Amino acid sequence: MANIELKQVEKKFGETFAVKPLDMSVQSGEFIVFLGPSGCGKTTTLRMISGLEAVTDGAILLDGRDVTWLHPSERDIAFVFQFFALYSHMSARENIAFPLQAAGLKRDQIRQQVAQVATMLRIDHLLDRRPGSLSGGDQQRIALARALVRRPAAFLMDEPLGALDAEFRESMRAEIKRLHIDQGATTVYVTHDQIEAMAMGDRIVIMSAAVVQQIGTPAEVYYDPANLFVARFIGSPGMNLLDGVYKAGAVHLPGGGAYTVPDDWRRVLDAPGALPADNAIVLGFRPEAVRVTRPGNDSPGELGAAVYADDLHGGYSMLHLQLADGVIVHGRAAREARHAIHSVLRFDLDPTLVRFFNPQTERAIGRDS
Amino acid sequence: MAQTNAEPIAQVTPRGAGGRRQMSDRRIVQLFILPTIILLILMNIFPLIYSLYLSFTNYSVISTDPPQWVGIQNYVDILSDTDFWRNFGITGTYALASVTLQTVIGFVLALLLRTKFRGSGIITTMILVPMMLSPIVVAVFWRLIFNPSYGILNPLLGFTNINTSPEWLGEPGLALLAIVIVDVWMWSPFVMLLCLAGLSAIPEYLYEAAAIDRAGGLFVFFRITLPQVLPLLLIAVLFRTIEAFKQFDLVQGLTAGGPGDATETVSVQLYQLAFQGQFNTGLSSALAYIVLIVIIAISNLYIRALNRAREG
Amino acid sequence: MAVVSGAPRSGGPRQKVVISTRVDKVSTGARLTSNVRAAIAIVIALIMLIPVFWMAMTAFKTRPDAVAVPPLLFFQPSLEGFVSLLTDRRQLNPEEIAAAKERTDLDFFNQVALVRGQTVLGVSAFPGQLLNSLIIAGVSTIFSVAFGVLAAYAFSRFPVPGKDDLLFFILSQRMLPPVVVTIPIFLMYRQLGLYDTHFGMILLYTAFNLSFSVWLLKGFIDEIPREYEEAALVDGYTRLQAFRKIVLPQATTGIAATTVFSLIFSWNEYAFALMLTSDVARTAPPSIPLVLGTGGIEWAAIAAGSLAFLIPVVIVTFLLRKHLLRGVTFGAIRKG
Repeated sequence: MANIELKQVEKKFGETFAVKPLDMSVQSGEFIVFLGPSGCGKTTTLRMISGLEAVTDGAILLDGRDVTWLHPSERDIAFVFQFFALYSHMSARENIAFPLQAAGLKRDQIRQQVAQVATMLRIDHLLDRRPGSLSGGDQQRIALARALVRRPAAFLMDEPLGALDAEFRESMRAEIKRLHIDQGATTVYVTHDQIEAMAMGDRIVIMSAAVVQQIGTPAEVYYDPANLFVARFIGSPGMNLLDGVYKAGAVHLPGGGAYTVPDDWRRVLDAPGALPADNAIVLGFRPEAVRVTRPGNDSPGELGAAVYADDLHGGYSMLHLQLADGVIVHGRAAREARHAIHSVLRFDLDPTLVRFFNPQTERAIGRDS
Repeated sequence: MAQTNAEPIAQVTPRGAGGRRQMSDRRIVQLFILPTIILLILMNIFPLIYSLYLSFTNYSVISTDPPQWVGIQNYVDILSDTDFWRNFGITGTYALASVTLQTVIGFVLALLLRTKFRGSGIITTMILVPMMLSPIVVAVFWRLIFNPSYGILNPLLGFTNINTSPEWLGEPGLALLAIVIVDVWMWSPFVMLLCLAGLSAIPEYLYEAAAIDRAGGLFVFFRITLPQVLPLLLIAVLFRTIEAFKQFDLVQGLTAGGPGDATETVSVQLYQLAFQGQFNTGLSSALAYIVLIVIIAISNLYIRALNRAREG
Repeated sequence: MAVVSGAPRSGGPRQKVVISTRVDKVSTGARLTSNVRAAIAIVIALIMLIPVFWMAMTAFKTRPDAVAVPPLLFFQPSLEGFVSLLTDRRQLNPEEIAAAKERTDLDFFNQVALVRGQTVLGVSAFPGQLLNSLIIAGVSTIFSVAFGVLAAYAFSRFPVPGKDDLLFFILSQRMLPPVVVTIPIFLMYRQLGLYDTHFGMILLYTAFNLSFSVWLLKGFIDEIPREYEEAALVDGYTRLQAFRKIVLPQATTGIAATTVFSLIFSWNEYAFALMLTSDVARTAPPSIPLVLGTGGIEWAAIAAGSLAFLIPVVIVTFLLRKHLLRGVTFGAIRKG
């Protein structure tokens, strides 16, 4: 299995960047997910790796081999498309055999390899059917089989689950991941669905507006987002982000109220240059960081809010809390503790889970910077 | 393609906003369809039936005698007439040659023009013109072009000596070819347009998948391009075949069946039988029916292919 | 744009790539093929139109020029052909010619006729025939589109008993060779006194265009979502009002396409016109091949007549090409 290196790879249309110069490496056997909203450049990057798009600058290396200008068929990669790209007038078997035929393998060999991947993907019984008559999930399995049968150096997948019904998506997700583990295949996977990315990726590359926002493991991007975009994009709902002013060890919110910053953060935030000149700061925390302390109004260091809504999310409650200035934050609470709408309460934040951002640069403030 | 789930026709007379009685849906349907049905029955069905009747008589429009029943004699006469079979062969040859050439040229043109380049829109429009012209007028000016003395075709093809250059409309062998040439000139763009429609519907990712799988050019053409275009190509072929059998204006204008009877297609023969010479109405009606049956057979295939492609 | 220093990578383009294309299409070779393709296409289009150009040129030639051997590419333009087309003339004897040459008050037509020793007797039948074409084509189109849109709407929105059969029946009318129906219609018309009448021709053309109109319009109307009418019905409109206010406006492109086709078909029609008219209602197509002058086929006149006949069609084709494209390909091309 191959490793993939991207060196200063960029894509321009005229003067507009579709992908700004990008550096990264994919280790052999890694499952990397490119994640971002539509138009962020993730698909373009994937297509450049595959050779379906030409780079406007930079180099792409596959196992140390410079493949930047090679035709897609010379790169030893397999591509799985969102809309399956199966040939409707050929049976599933013929579709899977297609790349092998093009490579000129002998008929027996082809039959054997097709049977092998069909068993792997549990589509043996569908081999003689035409794709048009099959469900989306089955069609995508055939497309996967076609990719697998070539034993390529890397798999590239462009939103393969996007055209499937919700119920299929979950099971196919698991299947793709299982296949990846079984084969130890280097996989580059593109999606706009962050739940998918978090569930499947060994590492996630988050992109927005042609720029890489962060590269990290799911845990990293979740708990330590590199900037405001990642903080908002990852998580459902995204991270709560409150604008405020930092003064004397507390974040003062516009509506009144102040949050006392944990001690280890004080050192960081007090350091000169950590914050912009006006000491503006953004306080970030995820819903699970919220700890409702008590009802009523008064307690310094904690934040006060009125309950705007209380959604039961199965195992827990998702509270929509409205702060004094009208901003709504989301917090998790135990489902037993039902909170009436309009009731006022105080909440604290788990000190290990709070994060801070520089509103000017939009970057996260590192704990050890 | 939009579904046409029809809703039930209201049996009750509905009341509108002002409480006034409106026409029920059923009434509307009847009213709307009636003029069409009436006209078609009048101008198509009735003449067809009348024509059928006439085909069993020996009637002639120029005589004062009323039509007399002769049974299937007319049909026997025609089907045993070697001239008829020869003409049928001529029509068939013309149809085959013309449709084949149109299809090939049209398809090649479509492959050429499928990638958009500057001005491809204008060129497509220019190519649209020939098929919009009146066939008789086209025939007339091609007569000028084919003329061995002062026509431009021969010089353009390199025949500079008048005495040895081909006499397109004068030689039996060439005349049919001449008609085919004009027909192909007029209608290749039609095939081209249909093929373009088919080609443009092929999603790019099919080609990309093939590119990744190292498929060769011929492979891609036969396994991806061709199958997608085939339905529309079939429609074009069937449609043009039907039109070729029906063709009258072009042949009449270019050669009127000549030289001699070298290009006498069945339509021309029909015209001559009915409106020239002996004005043999009964016989020509029988011939007309025979032609009709052939065309209906082909049309059936055509309409079925059309409906399937439209739903696809 | 960032420049990567060093020698160009092997296999890459020498210039900076600014257009997004596939890797294999980026090379200068690929761009060359595209230009070559464009050139070939232009050449083909021009070749296709040579016959039309030639005929247009011939219309402006003098009679001897039109039949010159070898054919003339460059010539002195003249309006002789048009004059021949539009007027009836007679040949003058030498004294008359001499006398006429003295006169200074000859109108334009007479002047041109005099060049060949003729004088103008009056207007020829051609303008009248052109007018007939206009009237018959125009009126029959109005009717066939009007009836067509009604029938198409009914078929599209309601379950009609035997709908598929009826539609098949309607479409199959298109398949009839005109000669088959001409004979009985000729007899019918003769009986009813409709032979060589405007009404008779209009009736015939309307019926013949109807099948194509219904079929094409149904295709267009099928694509208009029924939700619009249903909303109108809920708001209290009658079905007729909904048809008038909502469906018709949305069907204008379909109606335009159908109108153009009906017009072109009726305008170009030859077989029926030939067999069912003689003087009064004769349209242009049957007479264009027969424009005879004194002394044989007048090619310049025929070309002039052809040109006059073709120009409206070419103009309409150009102006409404998008509509035509949809109709010609039976709605298969969906883009604009």
